[in-house]
Amino acid sequence: MTMAPDAPFEVPPASDGPAILEARDLRKSYDLGGQPIEVLHGVSLRVTAGEFVAIMGPSGSGKSTLIQLLGGLDSPTSGDVFLDGIDIGRSSDDEATRLRRERTGFVFQSFNLVPLLSVMENVALPYTLAGTDPRRGEAAERVREAIALVELEGKERHRPDLLSAGEQQRVAIARALLMRPALLFADEPTGNLDYTTGLDLLGALWRACVERGQTIVLVTHDAKAAAFADRVLFVQDGSIREEIVLGRRADHSAAPLIARLASLGL
Amino acid sequence: MRRLSSLALRTVLARPARSGLTIAGVALGVGVLLAVLITNVGIARGSERAVADLLGAADLRVSAFEERGLDAASVDAIAEVEGIERSTASIDQQTYVLSTIASGIAESVDPVRVRGVDPATFGLVHEVRLADGTTLATGDADVAVISRTLADELGLTVGGEVTLLGDADLGPLSLEVRGVLAAGDPRPVGVDRTVLIPLATAQRLFGTDGVHAVDVVVAADASAEAVTAAIEQRLVTRPYIVATADELTASLQGSTAEFRALAAMVAAVVLFVAAFLIFNTLSMTVSERLGEVALLRAAGATAGQVYRLVLSVAALIGVVGSTLGIIVGVALAAFAAWYVRSIDGFPIDEMVVPPAAIVIALGIGFLTTVVSGIEPALRAARVRPVEALRAGRDQAVGERARLRWLIVVFAVVAGAAVLLSPTDVGPAGIIRSLIVYGLLLIAALCVPLLLGPLGRLVGLAVRPFARAEERLSRGSIARDRSRAALSAGALGVGLAMVVGLATVSNGARAAGTEWLADVIPGDIVVTSIRPVGPDEGIEPELRAVPGVARVTPFASIDIAHEGARLSAVATVGRDLLDDGRLRFVGGDREVALAALDAGGSTILPRAVATRLGLSVGDDLRLTTAGGSASLAVAGIVERSMPGSTGEAVIVGYGDALERFGAAGADLFAIRYAADAPTSTADTVDEVARSYALTPTPVGDLEGSIGDALDHILGLFDAVALLAVLVAGLGVANTFAMSVIERVPEIGVLRATGMTRRQVGRMVLVEALMLGGVGAIVGCGVGVLVGAAMIALGGGRISALPLPSPGVLIAAALIGLAVPVVAATYPARTAGRIPIVRAVAFR
Repeated sequence: MTMAPDAPFEVPPASDGPAILEARDLRKSYDLGGQPIEVLHGVSLRVTAGEFVAIMGPSGSGKSTLIQLLGGLDSPTSGDVFLDGIDIGRSSDDEATRLRRERTGFVFQSFNLVPLLSVMENVALPYTLAGTDPRRGEAAERVREAIALVELEGKERHRPDLLSAGEQQRVAIARALLMRPALLFADEPTGNLDYTTGLDLLGALWRACVERGQTIVLVTHDAKAAAFADRVLFVQDGSIREEIVLGRRADHSAAPLIARLASLGL
Repeated sequence: MRRLSSLALRTVLARPARSGLTIAGVALGVGVLLAVLITNVGIARGSERAVADLLGAADLRVSAFEERGLDAASVDAIAEVEGIERSTASIDQQTYVLSTIASGIAESVDPVRVRGVDPATFGLVHEVRLADGTTLATGDADVAVISRTLADELGLTVGGEVTLLGDADLGPLSLEVRGVLAAGDPRPVGVDRTVLIPLATAQRLFGTDGVHAVDVVVAADASAEAVTAAIEQRLVTRPYIVATADELTASLQGSTAEFRALAAMVAAVVLFVAAFLIFNTLSMTVSERLGEVALLRAAGATAGQVYRLVLSVAALIGVVGSTLGIIVGVALAAFAAWYVRSIDGFPIDEMVVPPAAIVIALGIGFLTTVVSGIEPALRAARVRPVEALRAGRDQAVGERARLRWLIVVFAVVAGAAVLLSPTDVGPAGIIRSLIVYGLLLIAALCVPLLLGPLGRLVGLAVRPFARAEERLSRGSIARDRSRAALSAGALGVGLAMVVGLATVSNGARAAGTEWLADVIPGDIVVTSIRPVGPDEGIEPELRAVPGVARVTPFASIDIAHEGARLSAVATVGRDLLDDGRLRFVGGDREVALAALDAGGSTILPRAVATRLGLSVGDDLRLTTAGGSASLAVAGIVERSMPGSTGEAVIVGYGDALERFGAAGADLFAIRYAADAPTSTADTVDEVARSYALTPTPVGDLEGSIGDALDHILGLFDAVALLAVLVAGLGVANTFAMSVIERVPEIGVLRATGMTRRQVGRMVLVEALMLGGVGAIVGCGVGVLVGAAMIALGGGRISALPLPSPGVLIAAALIGLAVPVVAATYPARTAGRIPIVRAVAFR
């Protein structure tokens, strides 16, 4: 899948602008049989606007918990999360919900789509939830753009069960990008896809970052997926063990990242 | 297999709320059925006890056919018949109690029943249970034994005095209270206002030398048939009717047959709706546990074992629900008995719970539950082991319930209901019930087809306020049409019964109003508890009131045609003609009404003419108190006045007085002049009451007809609402399951920016849409059910009968409200699901 004509393009440098996402000393505990189990131990990080950051780590490292806290899907036990300058932790549920609708987009590993709605309706969901008719005016234009962005023109009326897994994820990306969010969170978006489709999907995310300045936070266990990012945060046992700066690269080779991880014994 | 049984128990316990709601639904269905069985037994026993109270130890009752009663020769002839062990004669007459002689005005608004009895023989046939004082003795004259009710009402004790209004010539008669009867009467409260006086005193009081009945005890070595035949040979001087205790009981029970049949029908409908609930619940359980079932199959369980597992779940629910239903049924039966007594309905005995009724209710409840579980069990048995390998399978798109199986469930419930229907309604009553069940079944099976278009229609009203929620709700309904159809269908069936009964009530009320307008030539009717003779001066006095245009007498007389009793009403044809009453369907109106007054003619109601096979110009041969007669049929009318045995044959007033033994008018219809002063009604009222007559405006008559209908049908409406409640339980179950299935979807929606309130609203909007579909189907089918019940009950329909607008609105609101209330808790739960849990849910 390509998002632009297949021609060389200039690769802008990784952004070092203002922080669009900041986490300070994040901790998260769960109560298990009366005993508190801490899965995140004081994580702090900073993501600047236009950056593509990957949070990588083995299964059970706490990376999914971290992205859920960063995206406002869950509340930390302690610590703060600032999203576009707003302290998510101190927001009410309705405020957090509005923030999610207007400022962020989410792509999950699976079950991203509402099975009862068509492609067009799934993509337009943020507008619909906000009470805006997605069939008229600017909203309709944006919906068409988003569907075109993921190259699913002609499938607007299809239900999810008529799409392949890759097409479903592209619909999810289109929805996530619809409102031109400040941040796009993707939690293992290629987990259920085959290798080629997964690479296509990651390429689409990278181009959104490069061409539209979209800030992306990607969670993955796969180094090849993390290699698309400008910077990789390696999470292990609930803490960020290592930060690896890859820079903005057009070839997305995973070799440097793998070598670096190997040298660190990760 | 034992382990699979414990799995069945754990399946039930795994979803306590769902199982609890289903068990509650079964309990309600079985409870209503048991309540109906107990009530019907109570009515049957009440009828038997009423007859036993009437006849005492007597095997036969010889009743006079006419007002003047059986003469002394007839009484003596009966006493001499071989095979009679003992007999007693009595007079039965209504009159009023007077508080003071001087005023001469009846104090008591309601008449009392005076039984003039032979003190020497009465106690040999009838048991006299006294609460105080002594009974009548031979030789007593002006003494009385009064009922407990009357004693309490009038504040009388033994030694006190009661004054009764008597014959015009005698005037009021004061009697010493000798005793007070003990309480205990199966008839409704308020009717037990009885005064026992010596026969001779009663004859003097009412100016007659005859008796109204002779109660006969047949000797042990004789038969009732032989004694009846002997009596028929001996009685030649006065017309009479001989009835056995069984015949009287059957007649009394026959008058309650429609009530009992309707009760059985409503109970069946509640059980139908409970069957929906069970079917839906078991379908959901199977859908939810498909993965588990597949694992069992993969692990080696046979299809038969899986089938029996699901049926075990059904059986367990059936046993627990049916058992609880016994408690519910007893409570409902107690309420029904109290209600029937309080509305002066039918004789109903003290509540007794027959063991057979419990066994029948338990059996039908269990059978219904198990049969409802067969289709889900078959579906579960068809699950292939490979399904266990499909992780993350969307259970919502799994196998759907086959609603055609409902036909089998309905057949079982309908069959049981037919077996339990009272036999005295006859085949017509059973066919009527089956047609009603059929209409409800067809409606239920059509709901899946109507779900989409009707859901969209209801959604149109919601869309301006909750677009996203409406769209998502429509999709959710489409996701599992079977489940949604069962929920909406159950609601529709319950509401259809409510609306159907209201339609019947409205139709009967309208028919009653139409009938009154057809036959009563007056603005007010004045009734008397005894015939008012033409020489008593009452009629002229009423005519003389300024503003009165017309006073029309009506006399009720009994006649017989070919041995069968017929009701007849005598009146003045000219008055009916001038007032524009009666709708003629045969013969010329003017000619027929003139012939009535000329004498020797009759006008028949259509139903009677059809039954007897008579047309205009034919002769009606009949037996009257005055002897045999032949009347020419001068006309046939759509409707006639009511009589004791149905619509009455109309004869001329002159004929009735001169030839048929009528003593006078039982009712006067008074028409006011167009320019009558406002004081006319008050003056008529005063004159009527001065003669102990009861004036009733025709409008009030219409109202009391409607009230009587409302009382009876109101009880059934309340029971039918229980069906709606059971449907509500089903909706609660449906939405609880729906929320569970949609947890991942809710997670995505919340992550995308749907607020908690919007999630809750989404569930409620879906409930509203289901309720709207149920309400539309229920109201529409309800009107058809009502029309069918009217048409098949012998009523005539010229246009589609409708319930009152208020009832339709109320039914629609109930249809909308019940699912919304039922879905409130699941809606709140859905909104509170943590996003991360929802997103991670598999």
